[in-house]
Amino acid sequence: MNNTLLSLTIAILFGLGTFMILRRDIIRVIIGLSILSHAVNMLIVSAGVFDGTKVPIITETHGATDASGTVFNDVLAEGILAPVVSATTHIQYVDPLVQALVLTAIVISLATTAFILILAYRIHEEYGTTDIRELRRLWG
Amino acid sequence: MDSFNAIALAIFLPFIFAGLIPLANKVFKQYIGWFAVAGALTIFLLIAKVAPIIIHGDTVSGGVSWLPSVGLEFSIYADGLSMLIGFLASGIGVIIMSYSNGYMSQKEDLPRYYKWLLLFMGSMIGMVFSANTIQLFIFWELTSITSFMLIGYWRNKPESIYGATKSLVLTASGGLVMFAGFLLLSSITGTFDIPTILHSESLISAIHEHKFFLLTLTLIFIGAAAKSAQGPFYVWLPNAMEAPTPVSAFLHSATMVKAGIYLVARIHPIFSGTDAWFYLVAGTGMATMVVAGFLAFRQTDIKAILAYSTISQLGYLMTMYGYTTQHEPGIGVAAATFHLLNHATFKACLFLVAGIVAHEASTRDIRKLGGLRREMPITFIIASIGALSMAGIPPLNGFLSKEMFYESSIEMGAAIGSPYTILIPAIAVLGGVFTFAYSIKLIDGIFLGKRHDDELPNHIHDPGATMLIPAAFLAFLVILFGLVPSIPVHNIVEPTTAGILLEHVELHVKLWHGFTPSLFMTMFTFIIGLLVYSKYDAIATWQDRFNERHSAVSINYHYDAVVNNARSSAHKISAIIQPGTVKTYMSAVLALIVVLVFIPIVLLGANIIPHTLNFNFNIAPYEILLMLLMVIAAIAATILPGYLPAIIALSALGYMVSMLFIYLKAPDLALTQVLVETLSTIIFLLAIVKIPQKFKETISKTTFARDAIISVAIASTVFIMLINATQGIVSPFESLSHYFIENSLSLAGGHNIVNVIIVDFRGYDTLGEISVLCLAALGVYNLIHSRSEEK
Repeated sequence: MNNTLLSLTIAILFGLGTFMILRRDIIRVIIGLSILSHAVNMLIVSAGVFDGTKVPIITETHGATDASGTVFNDVLAEGILAPVVSATTHIQYVDPLVQALVLTAIVISLATTAFILILAYRIHEEYGTTDIRELRRLWG
Repeated sequence: MDSFNAIALAIFLPFIFAGLIPLANKVFKQYIGWFAVAGALTIFLLIAKVAPIIIHGDTVSGGVSWLPSVGLEFSIYADGLSMLIGFLASGIGVIIMSYSNGYMSQKEDLPRYYKWLLLFMGSMIGMVFSANTIQLFIFWELTSITSFMLIGYWRNKPESIYGATKSLVLTASGGLVMFAGFLLLSSITGTFDIPTILHSESLISAIHEHKFFLLTLTLIFIGAAAKSAQGPFYVWLPNAMEAPTPVSAFLHSATMVKAGIYLVARIHPIFSGTDAWFYLVAGTGMATMVVAGFLAFRQTDIKAILAYSTISQLGYLMTMYGYTTQHEPGIGVAAATFHLLNHATFKACLFLVAGIVAHEASTRDIRKLGGLRREMPITFIIASIGALSMAGIPPLNGFLSKEMFYESSIEMGAAIGSPYTILIPAIAVLGGVFTFAYSIKLIDGIFLGKRHDDELPNHIHDPGATMLIPAAFLAFLVILFGLVPSIPVHNIVEPTTAGILLEHVELHVKLWHGFTPSLFMTMFTFIIGLLVYSKYDAIATWQDRFNERHSAVSINYHYDAVVNNARSSAHKISAIIQPGTVKTYMSAVLALIVVLVFIPIVLLGANIIPHTLNFNFNIAPYEILLMLLMVIAAIAATILPGYLPAIIALSALGYMVSMLFIYLKAPDLALTQVLVETLSTIIFLLAIVKIPQKFKETISKTTFARDAIISVAIASTVFIMLINATQGIVSPFESLSHYFIENSLSLAGGHNIVNVIIVDFRGYDTLGEISVLCLAALGVYNLIHSRSEEK
């Protein structure tokens, strides 16, 4: 999935998220954080070390032996670095590791979003505003 | 019990006694002080048990393995030097704690007082018997901490807190510098063990020839000088006088301030015999001796006079230990050791007298005191003995050691040659003159002259035996050591000097030793001293005037400036790096992201845009549509002004992401994303129901421009990073993923590789993730709960 178009999409999401977290309204900052976390998750998944053609679920009965992982034929000691994905390399699965990482990240971003939303709610209750600059003025 | 165990017990018993204090307080109540005295006496007897061996000329050493991995053990080395300070710490401890029973009011927090006194005593004894530098350093800093607690004993007095803080800042940081010196020493010699270095000529000559010789010596000496209030570090000692008077007598005249002297004596065999040693140690000592003696004049508090006098007397000791030449490394060692002992006796005695006077006359101001000789005859006699000994009047012990000081000064001067032949004895006499003057002032100001009836209580009398006997006992020692010097010299000074010089020493000290040059110097001192004393008040007034006019000359001024400025500078710095606006923090973080991404790309030598960039638009139209929709949803979430539309757009984006995950061949992610997105949309909606949208930010053109620049910078950074990561830069590592793919079925028996990674290979990560969820849930619950409590 080394698609330049996807990279561009993710980059645009990053830009929009960044613009939002620089706002003064807390709720909009939180929306910005959500956009950013989506962007990060997609970034990690799309930046997997290698591309495959198959979902990382082993279906063959003879299983693991078929999962050829010979992606690298570089010799580090001699300074020869093979490309990550050479055209000739036979790959079956997409990179499962990045997916596992992002799975955790998605759940954690839910927890943090919920937490900061409640914080925003409490701030609004205590100070009657969601404007960060106004809050700073109130704190003195 | 063998000697090693006796000394180990002497080190740890004070700590055990201190631990027992709260318990003992229930039993002894107001007599808790005598419990502490019993503890101190036990320790004194334990050291006395070992003393015959050391006086005979042997040493006691041994160790118990402590940190074998770094070659450290709890080890003890007892020679004459450690025995002398050990005796002082425990013996003066007994006297001080007995005296405290009379001095400290029953209303005071006595358990805390005696606990810290005992802890101090243990640290001091532990320090002097330490055989390795690490152990010495630990006990050294412990004495600083216990001293801090004792100076700050009266917690509600700001002066106590100021004095305590100052002493801790100066002595503890000096200790750290010393520690750096110890580390250098061990890197040169390869050992932390002090006796090993002392007894190895090859190691000592290796140190002398090492290029870091001067640095090591200076670092260690700074620690000693800070502890013994030498050179510029003297400023903490006068402020430490805020401690209860028995504490001042114990810590700040007899024992703790001798720790620096102890250290100098301990490292004497390692570093002496060099020019550096003479100029550093003796030079600092002489300067301190003269300046502190001179500054004592303008003090009006009798404890402050004693404090400056202590600083000056410690300067004597430094000077004498600093007298060295290559052929005769220890010219002043015997004199210094004798004076160390004598100073502990007469100065502790004088402090106890100061405590008595303050206790009975309710003031320590020498301008208000006077004429107390009739009302306090016994105190007057004791004080006179102490002060005259300090002034160097025969036949008291101070006379003898001052004679030895003059003698060694002449010898040192002669050893270096002109112009030092005259200069060194002259400086010594100058120090003696000042000492003589303020010693007389103490007697004259407190006991002689006219009584200031309007300033003093009507009835002043000698205190009870609890306070008199300890002072009287010290005065008795002053006379005894003066009349029969062979007792202390043979039993204490000789073994100590032998311990320092590492050779057999025989000294002959007699009260009458003929018409020697030093005797003439003493007589000369008395004459000049009397002359100076006649101008005493004029000099004090001149000092006051000078101090007013040139406040920047004072070291205290600079200490205060640094300490007070530390606060305001910290405030200034944090105002810059922590302005409190989220935007500033965010901008800094984002700028760092940009830098951190570009540096490796530039370093790895890759092109910013890879040549092999794959602009292949030959992909399915629905893919293009999906990405287009994502961008539109994100833009909508950004520009829609209302909360609700923005959240709906955000939600749409989330679902589109899950579809993209399907497209990226990640079914587990897609599933999770759908569930999470549903949940987070619900939470968002719940939140905005409670948070009405009152505030609408109007974005000015400049703000928009600035934020847009930042956003575009971030977006392009991410883009460049991503295309490089996926198409440009080659990863130099083998991916872990192969391991997971190959072993998922065989090791974990799971077909779904992602699931196996989550619950099996990286199970602890998932546990952490669950903990985060739990904590967030608890946090949310408590945040909601906290409101209902308040209202």
